[in-house]
Amino acid sequence: MRALQFNRPEQGLGLRFLAHNPWRLAAAIAGVAMAVVIMFVELGLLMGVLHSQAMVASRMDADLVVMDRARIDLHKWTDMRGIRLNQIAAIDGVANVVPIYQGTMGLRTPPDLSVRRIVVFAFPPDESPFDIGDRAKISQALRMPGTVLFDRLSRDIYGPIRPGKDVELDGELFRMAGFVSLGADVVNDGAVMMSEGDWLSRHPGDSPIMGAIRLEPGADVEKLRQSIVAALPADVTVMTPAELRAREFSYTLRTAPIGILFGVGMLAGLVIGAITCYQILFNEIVDRFAQYATLRAMGFSDTFFRRVILEQALALSLAGFAVGVVLAAAAYAYLAEATALAVRLDVFSLVFVLVLTVGMTVLAGVFALKPVANADPASLY
Amino acid sequence: MMRLTETAPSSGVAPAAVTIRQVNYTFAGSQRPILRGVDLTLAKGEFVILTGPSGAGKTTLMTLVGALRAPQEGQINVLGAELGGMDGEAQLQLRRKIGFIFQDHNLFDALSAFETLWLATALDAKKPPRAEALRKAQSLLGELGLADYLHSKPGQLSTGQKQRVAIARALINTPPLILADEPTASLDKVSSDAVIALIKARVAQGAAALMVTHDARIFAAADRVVHMVDGKIDRVE
Repeated sequence: MRALQFNRPEQGLGLRFLAHNPWRLAAAIAGVAMAVVIMFVELGLLMGVLHSQAMVASRMDADLVVMDRARIDLHKWTDMRGIRLNQIAAIDGVANVVPIYQGTMGLRTPPDLSVRRIVVFAFPPDESPFDIGDRAKISQALRMPGTVLFDRLSRDIYGPIRPGKDVELDGELFRMAGFVSLGADVVNDGAVMMSEGDWLSRHPGDSPIMGAIRLEPGADVEKLRQSIVAALPADVTVMTPAELRAREFSYTLRTAPIGILFGVGMLAGLVIGAITCYQILFNEIVDRFAQYATLRAMGFSDTFFRRVILEQALALSLAGFAVGVVLAAAAYAYLAEATALAVRLDVFSLVFVLVLTVGMTVLAGVFALKPVANADPASLY
Repeated sequence: MMRLTETAPSSGVAPAAVTIRQVNYTFAGSQRPILRGVDLTLAKGEFVILTGPSGAGKTTLMTLVGALRAPQEGQINVLGAELGGMDGEAQLQLRRKIGFIFQDHNLFDALSAFETLWLATALDAKKPPRAEALRKAQSLLGELGLADYLHSKPGQLSTGQKQRVAIARALINTPPLILADEPTASLDKVSSDAVIALIKARVAQGAAALMVTHDARIFAAADRVVHMVDGKIDRVE
């Protein structure tokens, strides 16, 4: 600390107090970092679940999406009436409507050749409704009858999948032509993409689960949405992909137990962190109580003490956060690999946890200050 | 030797730094007053020692004069400010003009002798810049035999050296009033003499000093020695 040159005597006082005992400082930073890691992991899992559950909406390549009104979340597989897609396609300003079929099939997987359920998305090969890879390659592959594309972000349970090899789906051989990138979620372990023709030939009379609506260039999305809603019976819901994503987030957070579970976990991390910080700062103060009381007797104001303790709180939160981020990045890499969920360290998570960390340490500092504020300097004599 | 309830500065002409009139004080929960009708005047440029047996009320009187406690009965005027009814902020402002020396040094382990003294200058209304604070600290620590310990932290100092740093901290802002509680208790004779010489030098410059001590070696240095017994001033020498 001597290397630092302060212009005022009270500058950096909290930092100098902290730095004086490196072991205690290291323990304090470790305590805050641990709370930061807990918050990051809980938040990462929560956001991973939210993003994964809404992955279909996030990957949607459309201006609007239509589905049955009863389908209140993307994991409720309620088919819609196929005629609605034709009705929408007839509305002025609509360029085309892509039907999306969804179901599950049994994929025979090595090494034990057991059959595992896998989600199948089917659509017209030339009109992929998802942004999941090279559109031309997807189109070229799915135009070939009996061909599927495998989601490379599926969980490992399906074993090694090699392009160009045959795979068995519901007892029938399909050529695995290549990969796309969609992503697993909490319920589904993986997915394959199939052409509408292949799907309907094996599931005759099946209805689409949703439709991707693309509008003509320059069309007013909101206006056309209103036109579609006005033209159709009330058995469908029309949303933008962003609205669908937000609806899925909200559903998972409010209704799904997993959202509540991780939310509570994050709160627990916050409480643990706040208590740890409080204990650290409280010990800092108690150990120097006589010194603080002396300064109080000399005439230093509460503002001075507040500044010292808050400086310590801020320093601990930033140092603990920095260490926590490094550990959390490693934890995220492991979790993403282990769960195949969209667990990633993004700007939102960084800012959110930083704000919580600073908030909890500052709050802990405010509470820890009480003994100094109540100190009786007369007791020094 | 005379028995007094009110004392006056020996010169009788210097203006008062502290005036205490008929002060009574009782601790919460106690039936027995710790101070009973105390009258005392401390002039500017006067060095007064308070002594007496334990429980006589010396320390309580000191904390009242230092605006560390609120008076209950009687009048206390310190450096022109009446303490009765004084609010917390005014007490704080008054305490900044007082050089407090406690029995324990209470130095921060993380701060060197200079940093300790520099921090104390934050209370000086003039807020001296670092260079000036350094010059003052060098001079003051030199007077106390600590010229070579300017950048030493408490962990590198003996108990007596720490106490002298604490004394320097109390004097760095040249306070007009010095309140000291057994400042020489942990010092050898040479260091003790240096401390007393420094306080006397400040008194000669116009400061008033009130010191609680049992150290009879330094009684001779004081202008007056006030003996307290059982909450009252027993005699003045």
